[in-house]
Amino acid sequence: MTPVHLAALAAPQLLLAGASLVLLVVGAFRPKAIRLVAGLGVLSLLAAVGVVAIEPLGRAFGGDLVADQGAAFAEAVIYLASAAAILLGQPWFARRGQARFEFPILILIAALGMGMMCRAADLISLFVAIELQSLSLYILAAFEKSDGKSAEAGLKYFVLGALSTGIMLYGVSLIYGFAGGTSFARIAAAVAHGASGGVLFGLVFLICGLAFKVSAAPFHMWTPDVYEGAPTPVVGFFAGAPKLAAMVLLARVLTESFGPALAQWRQILVVMAILSVAVGALAGLRQSNLKRLWAYSSIASIGYALIGLAAGGPEGVQAMLVYMTLYVVDVTGFFACLAALAREGRPLESFADVSGLVRQRPGLAVAMTVFALSGLGLPPFSGLWGKFYVFKAAISAGLAPAAVAALIGSVVAAYYYLRLVKVMWLDAPEGQIDAPPAEAAGLAYAAAFFVFPVVLIALMALDPAARAAALALVQG
Amino acid sequence: MTALLMNYLPIVIFFAIAGALGAAFILAAAIVAPKAPDPEKLSAYECGFNAFDDARMKFDVRFYLVSILFIIFDLEVAFLFPWAVALMKMPHPTAVFAFWSMMGFLGVLTVGFIYEWRKGALEWE
Amino acid sequence: MSPQLAVTLIVFAPLAGALVAGLFGRLIGHRVAQIVTTGLLFVACALAWVTFRQVFGGAWPHAFTVTLAPFIHVGRFVSDWSIRIDSLSAVMLVVVTSVSALVHLYSWGYMRTDPHRARFFAYLSLFTFAMLALVTAADFMQLFFGWEGVGLASYLLIGFWYEKPTANAAAIKAFVVNRVGDAGFALGIMTVFWAFGSIRFADVFPLVASHADLAWRFGSAQFRLMDLACVLLFIGAMGKSAQFLLHTWLPDAMEGPTPVSALIHAATMVTAGVYMVCLLSPMFEAAPVAKGVVTVVGAITCLFAATIGLAQNDIKRVIAYSTCSQLGYMFFAAGIGAYPAAMFHLFTHAFFKALLFLGAGSVIEAMHHEQDMRHMGALWNKTPITYVVMLLGTLAITGVGIPGLDLGFAGFYSKDAIINAAYVASATQGTAMFAFICGVVAAGLTSFYSWRLIFMTFHGHAKWGAHEAHGHDAHADHGAHGHGAHTPHESPWVMILPLILLSVGAVFAGGVFDESFVGGDRAGFWGSALSATTSGTLLDQIHHLPQWVVLAPLAVTAVGFFAAWYYYIAREGLAARIAARRGLLWAFLYNKWYFDELYDAVFVRGAKALGDLFWKGGDKKLIDGLGPDGVSEVSYAVGRGVSRVQTGYVYHYAFVMLLGVAGLVSYALWAFR
Repeated sequence: MTPVHLAALAAPQLLLAGASLVLLVVGAFRPKAIRLVAGLGVLSLLAAVGVVAIEPLGRAFGGDLVADQGAAFAEAVIYLASAAAILLGQPWFARRGQARFEFPILILIAALGMGMMCRAADLISLFVAIELQSLSLYILAAFEKSDGKSAEAGLKYFVLGALSTGIMLYGVSLIYGFAGGTSFARIAAAVAHGASGGVLFGLVFLICGLAFKVSAAPFHMWTPDVYEGAPTPVVGFFAGAPKLAAMVLLARVLTESFGPALAQWRQILVVMAILSVAVGALAGLRQSNLKRLWAYSSIASIGYALIGLAAGGPEGVQAMLVYMTLYVVDVTGFFACLAALAREGRPLESFADVSGLVRQRPGLAVAMTVFALSGLGLPPFSGLWGKFYVFKAAISAGLAPAAVAALIGSVVAAYYYLRLVKVMWLDAPEGQIDAPPAEAAGLAYAAAFFVFPVVLIALMALDPAARAAALALVQG
Repeated sequence: MTALLMNYLPIVIFFAIAGALGAAFILAAAIVAPKAPDPEKLSAYECGFNAFDDARMKFDVRFYLVSILFIIFDLEVAFLFPWAVALMKMPHPTAVFAFWSMMGFLGVLTVGFIYEWRKGALEWE
Repeated sequence: MSPQLAVTLIVFAPLAGALVAGLFGRLIGHRVAQIVTTGLLFVACALAWVTFRQVFGGAWPHAFTVTLAPFIHVGRFVSDWSIRIDSLSAVMLVVVTSVSALVHLYSWGYMRTDPHRARFFAYLSLFTFAMLALVTAADFMQLFFGWEGVGLASYLLIGFWYEKPTANAAAIKAFVVNRVGDAGFALGIMTVFWAFGSIRFADVFPLVASHADLAWRFGSAQFRLMDLACVLLFIGAMGKSAQFLLHTWLPDAMEGPTPVSALIHAATMVTAGVYMVCLLSPMFEAAPVAKGVVTVVGAITCLFAATIGLAQNDIKRVIAYSTCSQLGYMFFAAGIGAYPAAMFHLFTHAFFKALLFLGAGSVIEAMHHEQDMRHMGALWNKTPITYVVMLLGTLAITGVGIPGLDLGFAGFYSKDAIINAAYVASATQGTAMFAFICGVVAAGLTSFYSWRLIFMTFHGHAKWGAHEAHGHDAHADHGAHGHGAHTPHESPWVMILPLILLSVGAVFAGGVFDESFVGGDRAGFWGSALSATTSGTLLDQIHHLPQWVVLAPLAVTAVGFFAAWYYYIAREGLAARIAARRGLLWAFLYNKWYFDELYDAVFVRGAKALGDLFWKGGDKKLIDGLGPDGVSEVSYAVGRGVSRVQTGYVYHYAFVMLLGVAGLVSYALWAFR
């Protein structure tokens, strides 16, 4: 395998790594050229999407890095979400006098880490990728240095993240010890003839560590606090792309190396999924802060995605991918709305803040309504289709009880989604709302437009792409 | 099985001695030593002065910064040693790959170094 | 024009009118809405008469069915939208469209000041469509559709003046009482489907003979399916045709505008039950028990409603009870098997009863919306045309005629045919004698209350001049806008014209169609549309009866007339004094045999108590408490608990994470064993 071939197989990662290094140097010498750095960052992310689309498929570095449709699909979504995060965050920080050129670079590095998570086929590369991503996110959470809450968010995220990393590493070491290797292929070979208890224990720990990254219950505790404290555009980024990356990684680990142990890990996933849906639905009932509320909403959403994954097989993984993709758009759009809304410079974050919104900002109110109803899973919005895929997969895999439990969770969660709609449409407005910045509003409208009606057309392309990706992930 | 376990016997002995020794000193102090406490004896020892501050005090955060930056380069060196030893023993294509891998690593570190330099992280004031 | 196209146009022209006036009424204005609906109705009416002529003239097939579209196709349950034309439906088409067209026209005058005229005409046309769908149904499903459609239209029209609480209450009452009947009707349809596996008349009737003895065992009892089905279906007819026990809604329905009373509650909708029994005559012929029930209920209604009519003071209510009574005649005619006689009376009754109602409307109009006859009197020279047509209507309903010459008003032919047939049938059917006696007595009562109406309204002293306190009954409020300030006046020509046309029908409909309906031509006239098993013998014999039977109706009619003359002309005021004494009998009749009070005590309060029990006990406490409310309470409480765990302390979070790991590992240990 020639270096050129190797480079081609890791092209998006090389591109992003190179870009982040170059931009770091640029920023170091021209600290004021923030817009330039941000622009170049967006461009390199878009370029990475292009590269993903055309790069060859195969395995590199002794099989530690995989380039397949599964990775390509997820990476395209992740890079686009990252680009959106830069577009949304850079002006947001600029407006509050917090603009720094590190922001786009951190997003780039996080995207690099997430891309690698999608491609990792070895426990070592898995770990490195996750840590690369996580460290960037810790810093991003605390990016608003002057804000105590932001610092608190960063610190909590970091401490708990370290704990989860520890748990995951423990699992990795167990798996390594019992399977005799770190590459997924090697583990698969060891598991093929019946997984030993040690490997399965390792697997449970590994799942726990990854569950923290996707904020599945009972590893969700950090989520509301971090979402509440972290800057809004950063939260929009947190809630979307990294979870997709972690879910893809989880799918690859579980199906590629632990495929034969499906019956075992399925049970773990189902338990976590139902717990997540329940926690997301119930705890959300009493939230007054919208960022916290959406943290619980995202916990519930991950529950649905986990049910899809637990269904296993190409159908289940496809359901998970479709669900997560639609969810990323939904959640990005919602936080774009929040980023667009401020009253005298203070961002709107609570139910009381957005009361009567429709009378002052009808466009954004409609967009938020669309996102809320989509989250609720109301036809014809995109959330419904995601859930439809998940439930279909779950039922054909014999997980109907789990699907029913998840549906009940949806019914409970309907309360807070509809409450948001009610508050925005029926309550009395208070105080003048600032003119929304163009980029946030534009992003929100675009996402809302995607949620309905574009999704109906997009699904035609999304469905085969996700199926190809799922097949690639499952068959390794 | 026993053969495997026998390999670990020295460690067990080591643990036992360490534990016994530690326990012995504490027990001996508790049993043998005369006890006549007074406030002076119980206060923190401060080189013959009266204690004028809490023993726990704040360090300047820059100490941490320097130490972390030091650790990065320390680790770099820790990587370089085995690499340097093994490089020449590899077959040619692998050696080339290994060489450029390390150059890449050093390149990344260098960029980080440039950044911290330009940011002024290495300046005390 | 092909027969198929013609009949399709007849049925759908009113629907088109209803849609135009109903949906675009505001857009096109009242006048255009009136013209469109009335015009379309007259087109339908003309086509209906053409159909009538062609079907009986033999130019068109005597019976044919136009299938328009599938309605329900589920397994063996097949129903289509279709138009069935045979003698029976051809007669009904004529009746419905004629009366409806005239009522539309009449309403131009009667409703000319109403601000919601377009809606009124839309409802009228909608009703006509539903009625036509009912009479042209080729299966039970469409029959049911039409049945409910006319019920809906009736509800809308009774409650047309929705600002009036009494009108709303009456509309609801009509709807609810009809529900009782409809439940029976629906069960009857199910029984038919159960017994025959089809609900198409064309499939069912040929099977009746072979299925006649099917029985249904329930516990230790055996029910003949045919009797069961027919009794259930008749319960539906009782509701729609306001028969004894389910009659209470009809008098209250008089709250609606008078043209509505004429069209729906006299001429067409209330006769749907009679029509249905005649239509299903092949089935009823195989159900002797059901026939007995029909006869007895019809006879009771006939007499009972007439007695109540004696004591009512509201001009429309008198006619309403008269309608109820006449429907009783039709039913017992059908019950004894004289279906042609029932249809004949339905036909003639449509003309003279619509005439009486519209005439009453004209009187009410003249009296400035006064309906209490005690405040009328001496109107004959103020409203001469109305007086004349009302007189003709009364002569028709009382059945005045000369038996020997076979010459008389419409009611003479049809009512005497029924009474005579009942006498003939009494030789073989026990219930028929009862029906005969009821019929004769009721004829006398009919005469009394009808002439009483004429005398109180048009003769005697004028009581509308300068009386200060008007009426004490519920309808006094109609007089609120200052009657007495104007003298009564004749109605405009749009109201008079339909009256004149209907009076032509009231006078001649009997004589002209006697031979075809019940006379020698009836076999050719009805074809296979009516079962001829019993009616053949009955109707052949009615011309060979003892003289006293033939003269009895006329004699009691004369008695009734003279009694009315004595009480209301010769000794004017005597009746009022009797009423003032509030005798037991008078109170019993005036209060309509206390049926409303009885139903209120038993059904309304009972149902309300039961409903309260289910609502407060069952729904609120049990279902809401354990269901939505309870679940939301619990969810909310659990939500609070879950939120409380979210303390904000990192060590709590880490602890939960570790607990999670421990829990999952333990679960794995247990699950992977």
